[in-house]
Amino acid sequence: MATTTTANHAEKAEIFCRDEARVDWHSKALWLLRQKRDRAASSLPEWEELRELGSEYKLHTLSHLGEYLEQFEANCIKQGIQVHWAKDGAEHNRIVHEILAKHQVKKLVKSKSMLTEECHLNPYLEQHGIEVIDTDLGERIIQLNKQPPSHIVVPAIHLKKEEVGELFHEKIGTEKGASDPTYLTRAARQHLREHFLSADAAMTGVNMAIADQGAIVVCTNEGNADMGGNLPSLTLHSMGIDKMVPNMEAASVLLRTLARNAIGQPITTYSSFYHGPKPGGEMHVIIVDNGRTKALKDKLLAESLKCIRCGGCINTCPVYRRSGGYSYNYFIPGPIGIAVGAQEDNTNTTAWACTLCGSCTYVCPTKVPLDKIIAYQRRLKAEQGTLPYGKDRYMPIVGKVMGSATLFNCAMSVARFSLRNLPNAMLKPFSGAWGKYRELPKAPKTSFEAWYNKNRSE
Amino acid sequence: MKIALFIPCLVNQLMPQVAIATLELLEKLGHQVILPKGQTCCGQPMTNSGCFNEARSTVLKLLNAFKGVECDAIVCPAASCLVAAKENFHEFDDSPEAQAVINKLYELTEFLHDVAPVEQFTRPFPHKVSMQMSCHGLRMLTLAKASELMSPGYNKLEALLNKVPNIEVVYPEPHDECCGFGGTFAMDEGAVSAKMGKDKASAHANTGAQYVVGYDPSCLMHLDGMIRRLQLPIETRHLAQILNEAI
Amino acid sequence: MSSKSAILAALDSVAIAKHEMPKVAIAPRLDDLVGQFDASLKAVGGSLVKDNAIEALQQQVAALVAEGNQVISQVAEVSGNRETPEDPHALRDINYAVIQGELAVAENGSVWVTEQGAGIRIAPFICENLYLVVKADTIVANMHEALKLINLQDTGYGVFISGPSKTADIEQALVIGAHGACTLTVYLV
Repeated sequence: MATTTTANHAEKAEIFCRDEARVDWHSKALWLLRQKRDRAASSLPEWEELRELGSEYKLHTLSHLGEYLEQFEANCIKQGIQVHWAKDGAEHNRIVHEILAKHQVKKLVKSKSMLTEECHLNPYLEQHGIEVIDTDLGERIIQLNKQPPSHIVVPAIHLKKEEVGELFHEKIGTEKGASDPTYLTRAARQHLREHFLSADAAMTGVNMAIADQGAIVVCTNEGNADMGGNLPSLTLHSMGIDKMVPNMEAASVLLRTLARNAIGQPITTYSSFYHGPKPGGEMHVIIVDNGRTKALKDKLLAESLKCIRCGGCINTCPVYRRSGGYSYNYFIPGPIGIAVGAQEDNTNTTAWACTLCGSCTYVCPTKVPLDKIIAYQRRLKAEQGTLPYGKDRYMPIVGKVMGSATLFNCAMSVARFSLRNLPNAMLKPFSGAWGKYRELPKAPKTSFEAWYNKNRSE
Repeated sequence: MKIALFIPCLVNQLMPQVAIATLELLEKLGHQVILPKGQTCCGQPMTNSGCFNEARSTVLKLLNAFKGVECDAIVCPAASCLVAAKENFHEFDDSPEAQAVINKLYELTEFLHDVAPVEQFTRPFPHKVSMQMSCHGLRMLTLAKASELMSPGYNKLEALLNKVPNIEVVYPEPHDECCGFGGTFAMDEGAVSAKMGKDKASAHANTGAQYVVGYDPSCLMHLDGMIRRLQLPIETRHLAQILNEAI
Repeated sequence: MSSKSAILAALDSVAIAKHEMPKVAIAPRLDDLVGQFDASLKAVGGSLVKDNAIEALQQQVAALVAEGNQVISQVAEVSGNRETPEDPHALRDINYAVIQGELAVAENGSVWVTEQGAGIRIAPFICENLYLVVKADTIVANMHEALKLINLQDTGYGVFISGPSKTADIEQALVIGAHGACTLTVYLV
C-alpha cells in the first residue's frame, strides 16, 4: 500500500504541493462538494436541529451500546440473520473467510466498506484464493490502480479522468485516449455487471444498524450494494459497533443528513433496509470492535464514534484539500482520520496536519468535536513522548523563555533588532519554513510595553 | 469603564501599532485603560502542540498579571490568544480568582459590540476592506455566523465596521476558510500553510479592496508576509487601527 | 471469553454519560406535496408522470413489448412479457421493470419499494429502466414521516429509491447510470 512508507505528513504534503495546478484542481473538486453540501443543508430550515438530534441519538446509543447491540442481535436472529462478533480485524477476516470457505466461494463482490479497509480484508481473502471485486466505481478504479482510497466517500478523487482512461484502457480494454466520464462509467458498468452475475457471494458495509428492528441500512448512489446483495444467495455485512442506532426515528434523522452533508444530495439514490435473508439465501452480519470499545473508555475519543462517515469534514478541510488523501499515514484521511487514527501513525505527525480552524466540527452532521479531539491527540502524543518536528526539544525552551519576562524581552529585542537591521538574505536561512514561503515580519523599533511606559506612565 | 489591556506577546513585540490603536480607541471612547504588568504569552504555541507541562508556567504568569487587577473588563485585540488564554487559565487554575479573570476576558470586537456598544464612528474611512474571518474568533468566540452553520446570520465585525462612514466591507471567496497560519503549523507544515496563505491572500486581493482587515494579528502577520512575497496590491490592517482612525 | 462477551464487558464502562433518547419534533412541510415530490425527483434525475398515469404506463409498456423489449411487471394493471423467476440471475436481460412502490417522500423524490412490491429483490436494480408506480396520496413530507409509516416486520427487504443510479467518482462529473437502472420514471396514480 502506498501509505506504508515512513515519510511524515509534512514531507508528503510538500511533495503533493509541488504540482500547484494539481493542488488547485484537487482543492476545487472537494470544495465543490462543500458548496453542494451548503446548498443542500441550507434548504432545510431544521438543519441545525437535525445536527443536534444526530448528536443526541448517537450519544444516547453509545451510552447504551451494550444493550442495543444485544437487542439488535436478538432481532436479527428472529429474522433469520446470522450474527457474528469480532474483537479485532483479524477475527473479522477469519469469520468472513470461514463463511466463504464453507460455501466454496471463489469470487466475492464487495461494495464500499471502510471497515474492510480497516481490517485489510482484501489481501487476506486473496491470500486464501478468493477473488475480491470492489464494485463501487471509485473503489474499483483504485483497486485496479493498486491504491488505497484517498477519501472515504469519493475514493478516487485524486485521479484525473485521463488517468482513469489510461488505467481502464490497460485493465478493461476501453479505447486508448478515451477519458469521457460517461464513457468510462458505462464501460465499468459492463465490466462489473459480469462480475455481479458470476459472483458466489456479496459483501457490503453498513451505514446504520437498527436495534429494535434487527435491520441494517446500506446507502449507495450506484446501486452496487444491491446488485451484489440481491444476486448471489450468500450475503455478508460488516459493521463497526458504532453503526448502531436505536430505532427508525433515529435512522430517519441520519438519513436526512448523511447524503446532504456528503455530496449535497437529499438522500442517496438507494437506501436499502436488509431485514432478513432472501428466500433460500443466507445473510450474515459481522459486528466488529477493533479498538472501538477502547476509544469509548475515553470521554473525548468516544465522541469520534458519533461519526457517520459522510466525509463532510474531509471536503471542508483546507489542509486535506492541499495535501491529498495519501499524506495522512492512515487509511482514513482528513479530520476524522486524524481523530480516529492519529495513534496509528508511527511518524507521529498527522495529528499536526491541522490548523485547528474548526470548520470540520461545524460541518459535522453529528457534531463530533473534531478539532478538540485532534488537539487532544497531540496531547496524548506529548504525554507518550512522541512529539514530531523537534517539539520535544524546543517546546520546553519556549515554555521557559515565555515564562520569564526578562529572558523573553531580551530574546525579542534581539529578534526585532535582527529583523530590522540584518539584510533579508542573511535572515532567510535561519527563519525556516516562515521565510522560505513568506516575507519576514517588518519589525518595529520597540515593544508596546516600552511605548506604553514612555507614553502613558503616571 | 475601567479596562485592563491584555496584549499578547506577538502584538507586544512585533505589532505594537495594533496595541497602540486599541489603547487609543478605547481611551477616545471614554474608557480608562491600564496595562497590567508582567504579561506574557497565552501558552497557545505549547498547548496547541499538546505540551501542557511546558505551558504551565507561562500561562500562570499571564494569569497572575491579571489576578487582583481592579477593572471592569480585560480586553484583548487578538481573538486566538484570547480563546487560548480562557481555555488555558481554566486548565491550570480552577480557583475563584482565576474564574473572576476568565469572566472579564473579552476580545476587542466582542467588547465594542456586546459590552460597551459604540453608537457611531464619525470620521469617514472611504475604502474597500476585505474581511479576514479568522477561525478562532469566528468559530470559538462566534463573532459572526460561520459559513458551515445554517442558523440565522449575524456578524459583529461587520456590524461594527458599518458604523464607520463610507467604508465598504467585502469578503474573499471562500468567505471564511482558514488562512493557514495555525501557530506552529506555519513552521511544521510550511508547504500547506504557504499554499493556504497564498490562496487566501490572493482571494483578498481579488476583491479589489485596499485593506485586509482582521481581528487576529497572527493571521494578519502571516497574510502580510504572503502579500509582500506575492507583491499583491493590498495591505493588512487590524480592526482596531481602522476604528481608531474613524473615531 | 467469547468475543461477544468481551465486547459487551468492555461496554460496561463507557466514558460517555448516559444520554436520554431524544425525540424528533420537526414540523413536516405539508404544502403541495406533489409539487415538492416532482421537484425533488427532477433534481435527482428522475421524471414524473401524473396525468392518467396508469393508462399512460399501460400504453408505454404495450409499445415496449411490441418493440421486443423484455419487460417484467409487478403491477396488476400492467402486463409485461416476463415472469418473476426464482433465480435473480435470470433477469440479466431485462430492459424494463414495472414495480409497485408503497409510499413516496416529497423532500427527496424517493419511493419506498419492498421485496413484495418488487416481486424479487433484484428487479429494481438489474433492469436498464425502472418504472415505479405509487399512489399520490401516499406522498409524505420527509423521512421522519416515511419511517413512521414503514413496518419492517412485513418485509425482509425494502429500499428507498431516489432517481436513477448515478456516480460522480470520476472527477466529480455526474454520470447517470452506474450499476442500477439508468432511467427512472415515477407514475403517480
